[in-house]
Amino acid sequence: MGPLYGRGICMGILKKMVIKYKDKLKKGYKKRAIKTKRIANKKMLNKKGIFFTLISITIMAVFIFVFTPQADVSLEKDTQSIKVRISSIDNYVSDLEDRYFIDVLRSGTHKTILSLVYYIEAKALEGEGSFLTDLNSAFSGVIQYGKINGEFIDDITEPIAGRRIMEGNTLDAKIKEIKDKAAETLKVDTIVTIKPGSIKVSQKTPWEMESEMEIDFTVKSSDNIAEWSKQSIIIRAATGIKGFNDPYYLVNTNGAYKNPIAISTVEFDQWSIDKVREHIENGKYIHWKESDAPSFLMRFTNTISPSSCCGIESFVNPNKLELAQAQRDQIESYMDYLFWTHKFHTDCPAEPVVYDIIGLWGTPSPPDFNDFKLDIEHLFKYNIGPTDAEKTACP
Amino acid sequence: MLGLLVLIVGVFLITSSYVKAPQPIQVGLLSGDLLNFLSNTKIKDLNNPYAGIGGELQTRGYITEIDNSLLQQIGEFYEKDKIESPLPSMPPPPQTEPYLDVAEKFVQNVLGGAVPLQYRYEVWINGALLYPKTLTLEHTKSKDNTKLLLTSKKIIFGIIDKKTGDIWGPYTAEVFVWES
Repeated sequence: MGPLYGRGICMGILKKMVIKYKDKLKKGYKKRAIKTKRIANKKMLNKKGIFFTLISITIMAVFIFVFTPQADVSLEKDTQSIKVRISSIDNYVSDLEDRYFIDVLRSGTHKTILSLVYYIEAKALEGEGSFLTDLNSAFSGVIQYGKINGEFIDDITEPIAGRRIMEGNTLDAKIKEIKDKAAETLKVDTIVTIKPGSIKVSQKTPWEMESEMEIDFTVKSSDNIAEWSKQSIIIRAATGIKGFNDPYYLVNTNGAYKNPIAISTVEFDQWSIDKVREHIENGKYIHWKESDAPSFLMRFTNTISPSSCCGIESFVNPNKLELAQAQRDQIESYMDYLFWTHKFHTDCPAEPVVYDIIGLWGTPSPPDFNDFKLDIEHLFKYNIGPTDAEKTACP
Repeated sequence: MLGLLVLIVGVFLITSSYVKAPQPIQVGLLSGDLLNFLSNTKIKDLNNPYAGIGGELQTRGYITEIDNSLLQQIGEFYEKDKIESPLPSMPPPPQTEPYLDVAEKFVQNVLGGAVPLQYRYEVWINGALLYPKTLTLEHTKSKDNTKLLLTSKKIIFGIIDKKTGDIWGPYTAEVFVWES
């Protein structure tokens, strides 16, 4: 082996080493490239994650914005509360129109008529017994303000009634009460105007009065959400007359003979002498169809004329006349509206045209009603036959 | 992962707030409905062995006007309790049971079945608590701790004496409702 040969071997080794080195170098580059590629891939993935997160956040933001119930509920809550408020006020307005004004008018009518009867009684007891000149005017003043002829009626009636009937019970007082309560409870302003001259009382049936008034009213919510306005509303209320003292008896006896209204239940074809006796005793009132008698309200003003719809009549009890220090035996028909109008009064020696009801004499013992007399028309009406009646003779 | 987490949390938040949202409306409706039921139902239309037509209270003379609404009847019990001596034209007091005790039982009978168990309620007339008449600690706690307490109000009045037409009221009737 020569030096050249040895040189050749060395060269070969060197070449191999170079090749190896080159390979190594290549491998190193590759690894680095892979590493770099991996890093690049990772970076790409991270970028996608951020993007995905951003999208998620955006989607959720949109969802929360669109579907969050808070906005809806607050709107719904507001609508709901306004709806509830309007409904409450609406109920109040209906209650006012359909019930409160009617109840107040009915109650006021009862108290006013009671006060007017006491007023007549008080005046009669003072010896100034007189009828009312204008019932509607007196009624209107008392029911609305509690006043008659400029005076508080309670000042006149309290000594005999034992209480102040109209105080706190006038229409004005009752309207103020509900107005204050509504302002406190519902935060509304209620304005009620009773039209002047619209308060009236009348009768369409014998045993009931009908009172009426015309009103305008406005209900306004304090927050100006809504306003209710009703114009020219006619309020009517029916009130029974049972139990009131008849003013006609009071005035004619200076307040000494009180005859409270009690209603007869006898049918027109069921009358007999016994029923007449029972009615004299109890002072019951009878209504006949197409009656010639005045109605209850007409008795306040001494309007003794026929009221075909509502006329009522009662028998004057001679015993009670005596108690009232009036002459018990008079030549009169003892039907109340005829007795004090003296329609059948006759001064003897002219022949009287009334009849003693002898069927009432002696039974029960002692004889109760032997001064009681009736005119011929009422003898027939009350089915009193010839055996029970005898023409009154001059004493 | 983070995006998924955001989605899950978001959906949870939205659904949980949806679950709670209807509560105020329901309580509000309930208090209004109770008051409407009391004021629109008449004794004569109520089929209840204690408070309804022909029921115990009518037989015992506590209920005299079957045209009264339930709320008016409660108000009438309150008014009658206030009157020391009855008016001359009024029928004598029927029994010895105080009117306010009767009012409490009356409310319990007419509303007991109408209010879901998870709710509590009170009935007040003119500032006086009629139901429940005596407050338990549990009741007071529940009222104090509730997040939402709603009330409905109505003005009530009625006739105390049919013959004279005397009226009672006007009073404020209030119903409080809350979830216990």
